[in-house]
Amino acid sequence: MNVRARRRLGNLGAYALLALLVVYCIFPFYWMLSSALKSKTELRGRTPTLWPHSFTLENFTRVLVDHDFTTYVRNSLIVSLSACVLSLLISILAGYVFSRFFRMRAVKFTNLAMLASQMIPGVLLLVPLYIIMRNLHILESYFSLILAYTTFVIPLCTFMLSSAFDSVPISLEEAAELDGCGRLRTISTVILPVMLPSIVSVGLYAFINAWNEFMFGYIFISTERYRTITPAIMLFKGTNSVDWGGMMAASVIAVVPVALIFVFLQRYFMAGLMSGAVKG
Amino acid sequence: MSPAWIFIGGLIAYPLVRVLIDAFSNANLVNPAVSGFAGLGNFATVTADPHFGGAVQHTLVWTAGSVVGEYAIGLGSALLLNRPMRGQGVFRMMTFIPWLVPIIVAGLTWGWMLNPDFGIVNRVLVDIGAVDTPINFLGDPDWAMPTCIFVNIWRSFPYYTISFLAALQAIPTDLYEAAAIDGASAPRRFASVTFPHLRSVSLIIVFIHIVWTAVNFDFIWVMTEGGPNYATNTLPIMIYRYSMKQFDVGAASALSTMMLIGTTLVFVVYYRYRRKLSEEIVG
Repeated sequence: MNVRARRRLGNLGAYALLALLVVYCIFPFYWMLSSALKSKTELRGRTPTLWPHSFTLENFTRVLVDHDFTTYVRNSLIVSLSACVLSLLISILAGYVFSRFFRMRAVKFTNLAMLASQMIPGVLLLVPLYIIMRNLHILESYFSLILAYTTFVIPLCTFMLSSAFDSVPISLEEAAELDGCGRLRTISTVILPVMLPSIVSVGLYAFINAWNEFMFGYIFISTERYRTITPAIMLFKGTNSVDWGGMMAASVIAVVPVALIFVFLQRYFMAGLMSGAVKG
Repeated sequence: MSPAWIFIGGLIAYPLVRVLIDAFSNANLVNPAVSGFAGLGNFATVTADPHFGGAVQHTLVWTAGSVVGEYAIGLGSALLLNRPMRGQGVFRMMTFIPWLVPIIVAGLTWGWMLNPDFGIVNRVLVDIGAVDTPINFLGDPDWAMPTCIFVNIWRSFPYYTISFLAALQAIPTDLYEAAAIDGASAPRRFASVTFPHLRSVSLIIVFIHIVWTAVNFDFIWVMTEGGPNYATNTLPIMIYRYSMKQFDVGAASALSTMMLIGTTLVFVVYYRYRRKLSEEIVG
């Protein structure tokens, strides 16, 4: 009896703590959405309302139409998808080599170099990267962002994919080889389908990383035409009286794709991230 | 592998060398006429900057505060989410969501919630009588840094949570059973069974986050732009100001070089610990 009562009390406490944790994690999103649906007068009212009384979509229409967010969303999509595909291509090849030829000295060296490059963050390389992009004349274009995003995700993607390749038995490859497949054919038709889940999770990681990135987009792009969504949100802050409703609506637009992807594919995503995380 | 090399070589290794060279030369982003060898001049410029000392201090506070807070909440939530109970998957998913949000969105949403005039947080604080007048969280020099740290913790702790969860699930259950038979209390079990198994993960993620946090530009820029009155001015913000506002490539590179030395030192310390830890674990 005593044990059971104690266990029940423990469970109750755990649920209470969990509820607190969830409120802490989720409330800002709720508040963002609810603010985005409020009218300007309600937002500026003396008492903030938990639920929007003046339910309106005007913030969204203003953001999408007047502030041209459709363009920014499209730009972000183009950049993120290209970065995702490009980094997948590269890290699949690199991951394969890492996994199958791990004894070669060049591979060991590359591995170390990639690990080290993980420790060198973007800000410190900001200036030379800016100058390189300027010299290549791709400063105001998608290419600068695609290149930058791809470069900074390659190491982690390669590590995650190489551990995925590790789990594919070599005998599978040998069988394909006996059947007369070349190496690239073997990889693309035999091995890749087997490790589809890992590829999905790595691709997602690259996509989300590019979608969320702020600094390079903020610095490399200054024309409306190529601006991506994260720097665009920052523009709301520049003015004297901040348009909070518009800003929250824009934030919702920025969060929704990522949240949707995550909710539908979280199984893949968590598993991939965990294997990457444990491996370090 | 070679395409990977092209990218890494072209966009990380080359710029890295460039930073090191520029640190010792006069260079200007918009005016190519400025050139030549500067010796240690750029380093002198940086260290003589009246905001340099403050920025170093802020960077340390920002990093230490964030990492300690993230660790505590990350570990706590992982232990909580590791308890077998109903709805576990949903709870895990929800906990993880802040990590997916763009930093800018996290910063601005909290900025709105913490707004002194219309923000929900101040309203609640006033209503329950915790404070008399609304606090200007991001506008008050005393509050700005703690607030930034708080928001950073909110966004970053889920990474700790899932790493710890993965490690917790790898601990064999019979260890707990043995400990329970020996009559070990819950805190005792945590100290002598759980925690030793988390040391290796802890080391990695704490180390990674020290580096990530110390060099983070986005968060502070989005929330306060280094203000008010330089209260949240950190080194990455200074690099940005040097390069993009004053176009002084030399000074920016010198500062980058100093930060690189800093991160390398952190790496050396990490490597030492790692070796020691592996030796201990292997025996």
